Amino acid sequence: MYLIKNLQYHFMKDLGLPALMRFSQRTKKRRPKKLDTCFGPPLTSTGRLKEIMTRHYLLSRYAEGARPVAWVTSGAPVELLRAFEFYTFYPENHGALCGAQKVGSELCEVAEGKGYSQDLCSYARIDLGVCFSGRTPVGKLPKPDLLFASNNICQTVVYWYKVLAYHWKVPLILFDTPYNFKDIADSDISYMVGQLEEMIPVLEEVSGKEFNYQRFQDVIRLAKEASLTWGEVLATMKARPAPMTIFDAFGHLAPIVSLRGLPVALNYYRVLLNELNDRVKKGIGAITDERKRLMWDNIAIWYKVRDLSNRFAERGMNFVAATYTNAWAETISYLDINHPFESLAKAYSLVILNNNLNHRFELMERLVKEYGVDGLVIHSARSCKPYSVGQYDIKRLLMDRLGVPSVVIEADIADSRVFSEEQTRTRLEAFFEAMEA
Amino acid sequence: MAKREEYIDKEKKEKGKKLFGIFPAQYPREILWAMNVLPVEIWDPPLEVIHANAHLQPYICSVVRLGLELILQGKCEGLDGFLFPHTCDSIQNLSSIVSDYLGVKKPCYFFYHPKSPYQDSSRVYYLEQLKGLVARLEKQLGPLDSSQLKHRVQQGQEVARVLKQLYDLRVQGELEASNADFYRVVRRGEYLSPDDFLPLLEEFLAAAKGSAQGGPAVIMSGVLPNPKEILTLLDELGVRIAHDDLLNCSRRLLVPPSRADDPFEALTESYFAMPPCTTKDSSVSERVDDLLAKVEQSNAKGVIFYMVKFCEPELFDVPQLTGELRKRGVATLLIDCELNQNLSGQLATRVEAFFEMIS
Repeated sequence: MYLIKNLQYHFMKDLGLPALMRFSQRTKKRRPKKLDTCFGPPLTSTGRLKEIMTRHYLLSRYAEGARPVAWVTSGAPVELLRAFEFYTFYPENHGALCGAQKVGSELCEVAEGKGYSQDLCSYARIDLGVCFSGRTPVGKLPKPDLLFASNNICQTVVYWYKVLAYHWKVPLILFDTPYNFKDIADSDISYMVGQLEEMIPVLEEVSGKEFNYQRFQDVIRLAKEASLTWGEVLATMKARPAPMTIFDAFGHLAPIVSLRGLPVALNYYRVLLNELNDRVKKGIGAITDERKRLMWDNIAIWYKVRDLSNRFAERGMNFVAATYTNAWAETISYLDINHPFESLAKAYSLVILNNNLNHRFELMERLVKEYGVDGLVIHSARSCKPYSVGQYDIKRLLMDRLGVPSVVIEADIADSRVFSEEQTRTRLEAFFEAMEA
Repeated sequence: MAKREEYIDKEKKEKGKKLFGIFPAQYPREILWAMNVLPVEIWDPPLEVIHANAHLQPYICSVVRLGLELILQGKCEGLDGFLFPHTCDSIQNLSSIVSDYLGVKKPCYFFYHPKSPYQDSSRVYYLEQLKGLVARLEKQLGPLDSSQLKHRVQQGQEVARVLKQLYDLRVQGELEASNADFYRVVRRGEYLSPDDFLPLLEEFLAAAKGSAQGGPAVIMSGVLPNPKEILTLLDELGVRIAHDDLLNCSRRLLVPPSRADDPFEALTESYFAMPPCTTKDSSVSERVDDLLAKVEQSNAKGVIFYMVKFCEPELFDVPQLTGELRKRGVATLLIDCELNQNLSGQLATRVEAFFEMIS
């Protein structure tokens, strides 16, 4: 049975799905795109991105039984799992996709019907809604053999994954990353290294494969190169005009989150980087009249990305930096194939959300200066407390110390029911006035 | 006994103790006692939230909101430091707001405790965390006297032993104290020195032994018994809280005794032997088993989930816990409210309806 499933998986991965997607591309009726005069020409790499992510999700249908399947949090050190050839699925990425396709709220309601409070993270509610109903815009999700979470991005993912472990009756591995209140101590690093080493026998048992150190090093190299390239991609937005917007980057983020450590992610970012560098050389901007440059704080409001993108572009305002997209480029330089465990501990524990608020302010200050940011839009996300608690103080400090004006949008990442159109419009109008004054 | 503020003031002025404001929930209080510090826990100060709203979004729980308000209203001036255990995302970030942004001129300490599922590395790390905390505190407070620590660890175990006796009597229906009285006494441990808390508990134990009222028994689960009005309402209805699964009560106070001679080893052993808790990321299965055991021991007819609004760690587990309880015919009631708010008429009606169901 395993052999058949494995053959089917590899056939679909290497031949079936690529052929299916080529066929689908050829037969797709192309509607003429309405050209918006606010925006520059669209990125051609976006087509390749869609192919990669569609293939990733389609492949998940064939993964069950053929490969060990792990559901993984976005900040977990997936490199270790890659060494055991897990097929990895990212519920947060899927939650964002559901939010963007505007089905987040109805999936949240499924979870709420089972007793999960509306005050809980909407990614978690969407995911639980999918588990309970089987409904997903991608067709079907693979059942996990393992759950892998790290609390470096929030404690919420652990509460959520505990529920998943109870629901699916599969093991949960936690990578516990001590919060960096002042400094990460040697004892913190030793603790994290110890945990990574303790995971190996569990991963061997679940995957049925022995740990291959050489493969592990290869994965770390690929992950590091992909993340550094992602960092270069983001850095192209230092150019004036910026060759893409952060709203584009929210989409292009998917491979570094979901496919980190695989060649496909690195190859994709090389293609994207070439295209962006070419646009910089030619002076092609993401928006046609870039007059103000903005920074975004927090996760995207997935169901409003297009709408917000248009609203800002109409006023010649482009988002050129975000603390969120930067998170997958910020600490990965710590990765070192010669010290894989220690370097994973550092790279994953020093991420923005596991760090004190002074660190966050300093990061934002650096981004403001390096990217020539004129203003900040702060998304206060009900779902994400570690990102949101402290934002009011950051807003005040950025104004006091750097004179950067900002606006807070009270919303949510994927549950559109809590978005107030009226309140957002009023706040944005005041912000636009301040920026244009 | 003196009221909280008077007592704390007296401990500082007359006994020369340092005062530390402690945010919820799990921390090694014995280390502080041994360093001549009185830990004063900040759970639900009776304040109106005014200033904290400028720092915290409306969707942050009232434990965090009230704690920050206490600082912003200048009511922590007499304190010599703060300790923030790593309890949840909101307290984690609150620690940084207080330490990095508010300009509070007091030492702020952070205590990270490892999360479940525990491995060998967790135990090693917890021990190192205890010693690391001591090293940081010593810079402010001077060297730790190891014999004092040993004494305080023993005292902590004695406190836990008497508390367990009280809980056991309550489970068996042999403690005649009302719900309100029981929790009033238990919660005095949030600020009393063990030198005073222990005699208080023993006195209470001696005075309150006796048959409990004959109404149905329930278990209370959640963070803390606030709003307190529910305790009085249950007393009026004749409902006895026979046991609890409250973060600030049984989950951290019923510490199993350790036989380790070394005080750090003893504290480590106790931490890992404590009842399952959301703030330690205990699995749902462990929590289900623990709650079912409490129901069985106390012959409880129902479980009241008394939630602080927006408390994610607690709210995530509730559907599984209620599901398992209902499968076994145990009634459940979920109440989700802000701290220090009076129990609304609607909530009181729900409690009364619950009482009728389990009677």
